[in-house]
Order: sequence, then structure tokens, then C-alpha cells
Amino acid sequence: MSEPAQPEPAPSGRTPSEARQTERSIAIVDANNFYVSCERVFDPSLEGRPVVVLSNNDGCVIARSQEAKALNVDMAAPWHSIAPIAAMQGVVAVSSNYELYGDMSARSAEILSRYTSEQEVYSIDESFIELTGTLDETIAQAREIRRAMRKLIGLPVSIGIAPTKTLAKLANRGSKQNPALGGVCHLGSYAPARQTAILASVDVGDVWGIGRRTAKKLAPLGVHTAADLRDADAALVRKRFGVVQARVVHELRGVDCLPIEQVQPEREQIYHSRSFAVPITTVTELEEVLSVYTQRAAARLRKQGSLTRLMRCFAATSPFSDTAGHTNHSVSVAFPESTDDATTLYRAAIAALGPQLEPDKRYVRAGVTLMELTPRDEHASLDVFDEAAAAPPAYGAVIDRIAGKFGEDTLGLGVAGLRHRRGWSMKRDMVSPRATTHWDELATVKAT
Amino acid sequence: MTAVVGPVGGEERPDHLLPQQASEAVHAGFPSPAQGYYNGPVDLNRHLMRDPTATFLVRVSGDSMTGAGIFDGDELVVDRGLDAHDGHVVVAVVNAELTVKRLSWRDGLMVLSPENPAYPEIVLSELDEATVWGVVTRCLHRV
Repeated sequence: MSEPAQPEPAPSGRTPSEARQTERSIAIVDANNFYVSCERVFDPSLEGRPVVVLSNNDGCVIARSQEAKALNVDMAAPWHSIAPIAAMQGVVAVSSNYELYGDMSARSAEILSRYTSEQEVYSIDESFIELTGTLDETIAQAREIRRAMRKLIGLPVSIGIAPTKTLAKLANRGSKQNPALGGVCHLGSYAPARQTAILASVDVGDVWGIGRRTAKKLAPLGVHTAADLRDADAALVRKRFGVVQARVVHELRGVDCLPIEQVQPEREQIYHSRSFAVPITTVTELEEVLSVYTQRAAARLRKQGSLTRLMRCFAATSPFSDTAGHTNHSVSVAFPESTDDATTLYRAAIAALGPQLEPDKRYVRAGVTLMELTPRDEHASLDVFDEAAAAPPAYGAVIDRIAGKFGEDTLGLGVAGLRHRRGWSMKRDMVSPRATTHWDELATVKAT
Repeated sequence: MTAVVGPVGGEERPDHLLPQQASEAVHAGFPSPAQGYYNGPVDLNRHLMRDPTATFLVRVSGDSMTGAGIFDGDELVVDRGLDAHDGHVVVAVVNAELTVKRLSWRDGLMVLSPENPAYPEIVLSELDEATVWGVVTRCLHRV
């Protein structure tokens, strides 16, 4: 799809009457370089410059602007190792500001809900929506959605439209790769032969739901591209790889197998939070609490077969009884790779939240939220991490089994194992204001 | 039983926003005489924001808009959903900064005027990059 592919003047392969027919199609709307785009709404000086967003400890690059991608700044690169060169290239680094991104995400979902009755918020920056109408009407709706997102909340979005989610994802790639499309790509704009050519230009490993590892196993079968997979024997794919991959084959043929899920009880977030019977005043006790909460949350994560990429932890004093003022420490941790490992979660929780805790405070509540969940079987691991992904199940699964047998409190990861924790502390040196969620951090407009 | 309470400032609320619901459940004892009339306390958000999704609050730094009643440290309600017209107070992007000014058009050129004689107006040639970020609809000023 790298070569410019202009929509045909009249959609071929359909009779004029078919083209006028009202059809239902699936669109995926995703914000371009979402985190960077959110930053740019409130800081226009970032416009047109190479920008990277760093993970919570300013450790790794987790998002890049188009300009930063053009400079080949690596995703997940440790910032300290690339900072000297990046600075010379004029790359601006900002710390992640998840409250801002979360609020902008909620606003974009609300805007989309004005255009559809079927909506699935798939991730912080992507939604599937159903559009109905003729080809031209559907494209017009998509353009209107794009305009509204830009005008109302300042976010640039790309929209891919097709009969199935998998093909919509593919069309969305096209909308990004070919600027001539103006951010909207409807697969139905192309004649069947052209559609096949487009699918043939997409590596099978880039197909939604097919990871690098599956792609490697598909290669010996002569399946290298999305078109190869579409034309593969679905029964054989099912036998060798399973029902998930077989569904992809049908989806590529235009058979809708993955309906828009408006309610996603197993996708959205996992939240574990409790108020304490007695206020906690020591950091050690709070760390124990966090250890327990992250394990509970991790157990639920594994039970539903998901991985998380983003965790939020908080510890709060009482808003009523504390004369010294209400304190609510809250931190987000982005993981370079999605995980369901309890050890990873609670180490990160304590490393991030620990340094913020104040020994003299009386904490009455703490909690852990796991976000950006993806199904484990859908997770396309990068090759470099394959080794880790293939490693035997970590303590988490063992703890779950024992807990399942003997009860939740029988076994857990104690704070004892964390005494020699890593010396990195929470660092967010370049964080932007939480302009939409905190009164004290509203964006400044100059009257000068 | 649940009563659907109509929007109070109806003309200010877009259609897509559902009216709030107020519970009218009858508990033991005498029902409140206000029941059926009580819409809940006045919610400033409902009246100050035409479309909350497209509305952002920002804080003013500087005194170039005092003539319009906008002072240093005031908060502005900015509606990005409105189209900016001649005479609107707007937040605009000028020289990569968010700035608040009065918008007008002169000979086809965009003019951003301060409301304080101590400051110059900005006439933007077609080459200058300036975009309207949003229309200011309210100013929150501490008295």
C-alpha cells in the first residue's frame, strides 16, 4: 500500500444500483500519534517538531511524532542512551501525562458516539464504529468525523473503513501511508483486483491478530502476505493455528466474524482498591498493601487472559480527617511490553509510588488500576521480546494455582523480596500540565 | 420511579446530551412537597458549557484584555465547537503560543486586537500562520 492508490472514480465491481444500496460497514478511527497530538493541543510550540513521549520514569520512548519517526528515533529506546544525539537533532522529549491522554480519549469517544450507535472503544486512541450508508455517504461521514475531531478537540485522526474489523485495520494503515487519501480510506473504493493488490502488499505479520511468531510459522506454508492468508485454506489454518487465526482468514474475505463489542467487561480496566479499616502510617505497611493489591489485580488479569501496558497506583489520605491537608499520590507506569506478571506489576508500583509516600501521613485508601489491556492470544510480541514471552510462566501463575486451592491469602510475593529494590525513582522532569483535569494546571493563554 | 427532568437551560444544551435523571423514589414517611419539582442544585457546568466535550478551561496571563473584563489570573471558558466570527474574543495560536485577543477582519486580513491601549494589535498577513484555537464564551473573575 506504499504506492499511491487513488480511489477509482466509480467503484468498480458494483452496479450503480448496488453502489446506492445502504450498507453497514466498520470504521476504525484512531488518533495519529495520540500522546504527541494531545501534548500539541495545549503546547502549539511542539507543532512541526520531532517530539517523543517518555514512559513514566522518563526511561523509554513510548510515542513519537511523525517527525521523530522520520529521524528513526526508536520506539522503546532508553532515553538516556539516545538523548545526546536526539537533542542535537532537535528532538523534544516530554514525560507521559496519562491524565491528559485519558481525558482526551474520553472526549474523542464521546464525539464518535454522536455519529454511530455501535461503538467499541478498543484502546486509549482507537475506536471501532459502525457506519451505514452508501459508499459515498460513508466516506462523507468519515470526513465529517475527522473534521469534528480536529475542530472540537484538536486531534488529527485516521479512519479505515471496510466490511470487517480486520480489513478496516488494514484500510487504516493505507489512510496513514497515503497522504493523498486525506486520512480516510474506504476499501470499497477499490476494484476487487486492486483490493487484492493492496492485500498482497501487506506483510502477513502486519495483519491484525497475526503476530510475528505466527507469521514465521505461516511462511513455510507459502503464506507471506495478507492476500496469501485470505486465499489460504481456512480449515487448515484452523487446524494448525486455532480458531482465532481462522477467523482472520474469513475476516480478510469480508466475512464479519468480530462484531463490534459495545460492552467489553474483559477489556477495559481492572481496578482493585480498598479503604483501610485503620489508617496506615508507615511506608512499609503501604508497600505491603500495594503488593497485595497488585497481585489481586494481576490474578484477575490472568484469569481473563489479558495483558496490561499501563498501570495506575494511588495512595490517599482522608479528605475529611486530615488537618494537614488531603494528599492523593497517584502515579502511572507504562510497561515497555504488555505483561500479566505480578512481580513486574508490584515492583513497578513500589518503585513509582514508594518515593512519593510520606511517613507522617495517615493513608486511608490505596488502589491499583490496570489499563490498556489486550487479549494475550492477540498480543503480537516483538521478536526481541520473544524469549521473554516464551519463558515458563512466572510466579504469578503458580501463586494463582495455590491461591485457587487454598484461598487468596495463602501465598503471595512479600515485600521482603524487594528490600534491595532498584535505585531508580519516579522521574517526570518534563511533564506537561494536566490541563483538563486539574484546576491548578490549566493551560495558560497569553494576554500580552 | 424515575422522573426524567428536562434540561433547565434548554437552549444552551445540544441535543446529544441526555437530560439528567433525578430519583423520585418515595421512601417511608411523607414525600417531599418539592418532589416532582426538584431538579437538583444548579450545576454551573450545564450553564457555562454549551458542549462540555468541546469546552476547555484556560488561565489568563497578562493584562492586555482588561478592557474586555479579562484580567491576569482569570479563567476562561473556551468553546472549540463554535465558529469564530468578527468581534468574538478568541484564543488563537500566534507564534506557537496560545493567546487571547479580540478577532476581526480588515481587508481580508485577520486582526487580533488587545483591549488595552498599552498593547499593539496584531495584523496577520496571509503568510503568517495563525489559527483560532477556540472561542471564549465566559470569563471567571474573582471579585
